[in-house]
Amino acid sequence: MIALRPIGRVVATELKPSTPHQFYFWTARDTPVGIGAIVRVEEAGRVVFGVVTDAVAYSDMMTPMHAVLGADGDPGAMDDPTRRAEIRLFSASVLRQMPEEPLQPVPIGPVRLASDDDVRLALRMDAYTGRDRATGIPVGVYAAGGLESPVYLDCDFLLGPEAAHLNITGVSGLATKTSAVEFLLTSIFQTFPVHKGSVAAVCFNVKGPDLCFLDQPAVLSDEERRLYARLGLTPTPFTDVHYYAPFKSDGVNLNTLRSHEALAANTRPLVWGLREVLDYAEVLLNRDDVDAKADAFIDFLGERVVGRDYRDDTLRTKPFNVQTFADLEEFFRAIFDFVEAMGKGGEVWRTHHVATIRKVRNRLSNISTRSKGLVTDDGTASDLPWGGFADRNVYVVDVAGLDPLAQDLVFARAVSRLREHLERRDLGVDHVVVFVDELNKYASADGSDTYVRKMLLDLSERGRYLGLVLFSAQQFRSQVHRRVVGNAGTAIYGRMDMDELATPGYATLSPATKIKLATLPKGELMIRHPHFTQPIFVKFPRPPVMTSREGLDRFPPATGLSFPDAVARQLRTFDRHISTDGVHALVEGRAEPDVLRALAATRRERPADPFAFFSACLGRRVTPEALTTRRPVPSIRHADGDYGS
Amino acid sequence: MLPDQIRRALTLHGLTPATWIPDASGGREVEATIRVARVVEGPALGWHPVGLATSWTEPLAFLDGVQRSEIVPYAGAAPIVVARIAAAVRERRDRTLSTVLETSRTLVIARPSALARAGEALAGLDTLALPEDHPPHPVRDLVDARRALDRARGALEIGLGERYRETGDGWLIVDGSLAESPRWAADPRMIGIAKSHATLPFEGDDLERYLRLPHGQRSSLFEPQTRSLAPVRSWALRLWPWEGRDLLYGLVRIEVAPVNGSPDAADRLSRFLLAERAPVSAPDLCWDRLLYGISAVEQYLRARLV
Repeated sequence: MIALRPIGRVVATELKPSTPHQFYFWTARDTPVGIGAIVRVEEAGRVVFGVVTDAVAYSDMMTPMHAVLGADGDPGAMDDPTRRAEIRLFSASVLRQMPEEPLQPVPIGPVRLASDDDVRLALRMDAYTGRDRATGIPVGVYAAGGLESPVYLDCDFLLGPEAAHLNITGVSGLATKTSAVEFLLTSIFQTFPVHKGSVAAVCFNVKGPDLCFLDQPAVLSDEERRLYARLGLTPTPFTDVHYYAPFKSDGVNLNTLRSHEALAANTRPLVWGLREVLDYAEVLLNRDDVDAKADAFIDFLGERVVGRDYRDDTLRTKPFNVQTFADLEEFFRAIFDFVEAMGKGGEVWRTHHVATIRKVRNRLSNISTRSKGLVTDDGTASDLPWGGFADRNVYVVDVAGLDPLAQDLVFARAVSRLREHLERRDLGVDHVVVFVDELNKYASADGSDTYVRKMLLDLSERGRYLGLVLFSAQQFRSQVHRRVVGNAGTAIYGRMDMDELATPGYATLSPATKIKLATLPKGELMIRHPHFTQPIFVKFPRPPVMTSREGLDRFPPATGLSFPDAVARQLRTFDRHISTDGVHALVEGRAEPDVLRALAATRRERPADPFAFFSACLGRRVTPEALTTRRPVPSIRHADGDYGS
Repeated sequence: MLPDQIRRALTLHGLTPATWIPDASGGREVEATIRVARVVEGPALGWHPVGLATSWTEPLAFLDGVQRSEIVPYAGAAPIVVARIAAAVRERRDRTLSTVLETSRTLVIARPSALARAGEALAGLDTLALPEDHPPHPVRDLVDARRALDRARGALEIGLGERYRETGDGWLIVDGSLAESPRWAADPRMIGIAKSHATLPFEGDDLERYLRLPHGQRSSLFEPQTRSLAPVRSWALRLWPWEGRDLLYGLVRIEVAPVNGSPDAADRLSRFLLAERAPVSAPDLCWDRLLYGISAVEQYLRARLV
C-alpha cells in the first residue's frame, strides 16, 4: 500500500478533544479535503479511518473591527499585502479503527486522503469484496482529491437475508430517484453473485413515462462510460423487460405512454377479472367501510358464489354461475329483488344486512366502472407471469394512468402474489426487487391505515426472509411511515430540500453535510448502509437506459388509435405479419364487445395462427338480409248470407 | 532537552529544584534613555509627508526572534536558568508568508561555579557562563542572565539575517535596530523597525516635535548615536493617527543603511511601510507599531517553542 503524502494533522485540545468516534484535523489552505472526504490517520500502530463531517476556517483576527481598522474603513481598499494566518479545521467522524479493540481516542498524527485500499477498509468492504463468494454490488465511486474508489453495497444486506430494502429520498426533477434505482438495478443484474441465486425486478411506474424505456439504450458521455468501467459494469440497457399496462376505457388501447408500435412487442395488457379483484376487495374498502360485516359478506361471495354454481331457490330456481362483474351484478339484482319482495322485515338476506350488501356491491361495481380498462367484464385476465418469472428480468407495471384506488389494487395484488409465490418458492426466481415511487402516497406517516400501507409495513418488516425486497422512493422521507423507511437497510439521499432537512429525521447529520445535501449535483448521492458507520457520498453514472424525455421524443405515444387500428396493434403483438387492412376488413361492422371478446380469447389461448383464431372467435359474419315485399293476404271472401252458404 | 528534563536531572544531582519563570522571560529589557542624534536632512528636525501607501512589489521577508527562560534549580543561592531562544525568517510570496529559515538553541545560563555543581547533568547542553565577580545573588544573577540571553538571541537573529541575505535579493525587515551588526547596517536591502521608544533620539523642543509627528508623515532623516561602530540612517514614521491616544501611538523608528538614507528613498520606503499597516497585528498590545509580518514570525516561533 502506497502511503499518500499527509494533507493534514490531527489536533486535540481540551475543548476539541479526540474521541473514539470523532477527531479534528487541520490542513493547508488549498486542501483537496471536503465534506464527505474519507481520511486515514496512522500513528503508533493504530490506523483510524474517518469521514469529514464539518469544517471551519478562521484567521488570527480577533474582531471584525481590526479588519475595518486595517482597511481604514474602506471596503474597496487594496488587499492586505500579507494574507492573515488562517486555519482550515475539519471535524471527522470515525468510520473504523484498526485494531478495533481496545477502542481508544484517535491518535494525534498525520492525516492522509484515503486510497482505494483505505476506502475498502474504512467502509468494511473487505468483508464482502475481493474474496471467494463475494457479495459486493457497485453503487458508485467515492471521489476526493483526484482519487476515485469504487463503493460496493453488500447484497446480503441489500437483498437479504441479513438486512434488506432500499429507500431513496430526493427532490424531484434532478434525476436522483429513478436514475439511481435504474443504475442500481443495472448493477445488481450484472453483479449479483451466482451463489446467491436468481433475481428479478417488478417496477411500478406510477407517474408519466419514468420507467417506460428501460430496454432502450442511453447516449452516454465518455466520462460516464469511464465510470462504468471503473465500477466493472457494462453500460447496456436491460435486455429482458416486460411491460404491463391496463387498457383505456375503450378496452383495446393500452393506457400507457409506451404505446409506440415499435415498442409493442414486449408491452402486454394488464387485465383482471372478478376473481382477481375479489381476492383483494379489502383494498377497495376505506377505513369507514372496514367492518366485520362487509368482510363476512365478501368472504361469502368469494367462497360460495364466485366461480362456482350457487343455488338459492329463494332468489331464482336456476343456479347462479358468477364469473364476471356482469354475472355478479345479476346476482346482486336478484338479492335486491328478493328483499324488496319481502317488504317490511326483509332487510336481511342470509344473515347479511341489505345495507352491507349494497356497500359491497357499490365498492365492487365502482372499481369496474372507474378502472374499466383494468377490470374486464368478461372474466378474461391478462396478468403477470406468476410462477414464470425469469432471472435478470424486469417486469414493469404501468399504473400511471389508473386512478389511485385502482393503483392501490394493482399494487396490493401484485405484491401479495409475489409474496405468496416466494413463500411457496415457485415464483421462478429467488429474489424480487419491488420498486415503488411516491412512497409518501402509499405509506404516508400521517395518513389513514390503508391496506396498502399495512402491506408495505409487512413487506418491509418481513420481506427479506422471503427474498421480497422493497426499493422505495419519495421526495420527503419525513412524510413516510417511519417503520417503512426505518426497515430499509440501505438509504440513499439525493439533493434535498432544506425544509425537509430541518425535520428531526436528519438531526444526526452535521450542518455541513446538510448543506452539501441541499446542493448536491446531479449524479451524486449520500448513502447509508449497514457496513458504513457514517453516510458516504458517491458519484454514479447516468443509467444506461433512455431517459423518459428522450424516449418520448424518439417513441412518441400512439394517441387516438381507431378501434380497428388498436385491435390490429394488439394482434400484431402475437404475429407481426398481421396487417391492419386485414383486421379492418375483419372487424368492420362487428359489435365492439364481440371483437373484444375475440381479442381476449386470442390473448388467452396464444394460438399458432392468431389471425385465424381471432377470426374464428368472431364467427361468421351475419349478413343483413333485405326484406322482400310480402304479398298481401287476400281478404276473406264473404258469403252472401250472414252464415255463409 | 526540555526544561523539565533538565530540572529532573539537576534535582537528582542534588540541586534545589525551582519552577519560576521570570517576568521578563519573553523579551528584551531596555533602559529608558536619550541619545541625541544628528539631523542629516535640512537644518532642523522637520515633518515630511510621504504620500499614499504603496504596495511592496519586491520579495519581502521578516525576521524576528523570541526567547523563553526559567529557573530550574538553585545551586546554593545561585540560580541556573534554562533558556530557549529561536529566530526565523518568513518570506512573503503571493501575499502568503512561509518560513524559509529558522534556528533555535537551548542554553543553560549560570555562574561557572553553579554550572560546575551541575556537573554531568548538563552534558551535551550549551552553557553560558555569567560573571562571577560578585557573590551569588538570586535577583542580580537573574538580571545578568537576562542580559546574556538578550545578547545570545541578538546573535542568533544576526546570524539568521545574514544567512537569508546571502541566499537572495529580497528585502528583509527586522524587528529592532540594524546597528546591532555592521553587515546589517550596510545592507541595502534591510530595514530595521524599532517600535520601542525607550531610547529617544532627541530632547527638548526637537523631542516634542519628534513625538508629535502627524499621521502619514516622517521625520527628517537623522543619524542615531550608537554604541556600535555601524552607522545607519534613521527616521520616524507615524503609522496611525495619534491624537487623542498617546504620543507613541503608531510611531516607529526606521533604520536603513546609509546608502538608502536619501529623502527620496525614505519617502518611498515609508510609503511601502504604510501599506504594511494592514492587516493589523491585533491582539498584540503593540499592534499600532508592530507590522503583521513581524508579528507572524513571533507567533510562529512561540507556537514552535511551546
